Amino acid sequence: MQADLEELRITQKELENLSGLEVSEVFMGGAWRPSIIRNPKRLLSFLMTEVFTFGLILIFCLPIGLIVARSFGGLTGDASSAAQFLQVSFGVSVAIAFLWNLYMWQKGKSLKLLAHLLDEVDKHNEIIAAVDVIDELGAIKNSTISLIDRGEVLAALTATRESLVCALMTEKILRKHKRFIARRHELFSNIETSLVTLQHLRVTSQADEYGQLLNEALQIGMSVHQEMKQDI
Amino acid sequence: MKYFAVLITLLRDRTLFLEEIRQGIKIESKIVSLLISSSIFFAVYGAIIGANSSLPQVISSAVKLPALYLITLIICLPTLFFFDILFGSTLAFNQYAALILTTVSVISVLLFSFAPVTLFFLVSIRDYEFFLLLNIAIFALTGLIGVKLFYQGMQFVTEANYKTFKSREPLVKLDKTEDTPEDFVPVKDAIPVEDKSQKMRTKLLQFWLFLYALVGSQLGWTLRPFFGAPGEPFQLFRSEIESNFYQQVIRMIFTVLGFQ
Repeated sequence: MQADLEELRITQKELENLSGLEVSEVFMGGAWRPSIIRNPKRLLSFLMTEVFTFGLILIFCLPIGLIVARSFGGLTGDASSAAQFLQVSFGVSVAIAFLWNLYMWQKGKSLKLLAHLLDEVDKHNEIIAAVDVIDELGAIKNSTISLIDRGEVLAALTATRESLVCALMTEKILRKHKRFIARRHELFSNIETSLVTLQHLRVTSQADEYGQLLNEALQIGMSVHQEMKQDI
Repeated sequence: MKYFAVLITLLRDRTLFLEEIRQGIKIESKIVSLLISSSIFFAVYGAIIGANSSLPQVISSAVKLPALYLITLIICLPTLFFFDILFGSTLAFNQYAALILTTVSVISVLLFSFAPVTLFFLVSIRDYEFFLLLNIAIFALTGLIGVKLFYQGMQFVTEANYKTFKSREPLVKLDKTEDTPEDFVPVKDAIPVEDKSQKMRTKLLQFWLFLYALVGSQLGWTLRPFFGAPGEPFQLFRSEIESNFYQQVIRMIFTVLGFQ
């Protein structure tokens, strides 16, 4: 890949820096990427992860279940108690796997915007890969294939890259301050209330002793200042 | 597969891998990858040792062997973490988990590398006692190498942390609490506080490794059988719950010495 194209690519490391989350083809910040359904390779990777995860849950659940069941006398050594134990252990494993998926789905819901942006980044990188292929084909002697205006294409890709980077940074900030932003109506009303209170305080403070002292101090300061100005 | 790529990175460049753990780079994905890849390797080796008996034993051992290593890790991990942070460690819980998983993964890979040898002896010599002995030797060897690498890894990570600490804030504190004239010793004799913590953590690590071996051997005993005794029907577990690994070892020694 030519250096100018390489610079335009948004790498995984850059994506992780910009989003502040671990990003891969299947995961984003510990949640599934919705694009796995559209891509067969990613779907396969997702299914493999599901199988491995269930296997891992079984590896933990079965022996722990065995130890617990033996300690509480649930396993007597006959076939029926063993079958019952296996059924319960499998049931618990399925339940844990289901809860894990539910958690991932819930987490993914809060990262919808990021998922969309990541898909756009994928498209951008695919275009760069396509331009690279055209470049390679064009490098062959007597080849008729070449980009008509490479400069313009690169300018367009640069603009896309910049807007994607901006969007990713904005999304990160919005995500970080999600709770704060969600409370904006409450915050605005709080600020308004505070302002009214302040105005009220200003009016009342003039009447009390503290306000009087403040006013006096201010007048002294002003007169000193005036005196000094006259002297100069 | 990305899971195996992480494991290959660990095997090829352990120093870089440990440095990444120390800096907290991609810890979650490392943990998941090491968990999955080591489980697969253990399961394969477990299936081979179970093949000495019957098909249900193959399945049973394929689940039990990864469980033995991973559950031991889960049981012992909080002890190491809390004791270490008590003595000044700055690493997070997931960093400790990743560090211990590197050991378990190395053991799993070593066991997997012995799989063809074990399989060869399984097929060529149908001798239960020899097969048992061979596997004990393999488990002991892989375990020792894994523990040695873990020990080195922990030393590397904590020392690297100490160096970072040193470069940030030079430490020269006398090993006395009161200001008496004897406290004014040459700088070379002064013991930095961090050095003392480091020594303490090393001792703690040695103690923890002993604890890990203790828990692992007892759990292995509880989860028996892994091999399946010849001529006996498949058993999901051995019925005698009251005995333990150490009693059995002492009994075996007595038997060998002719006291029983």
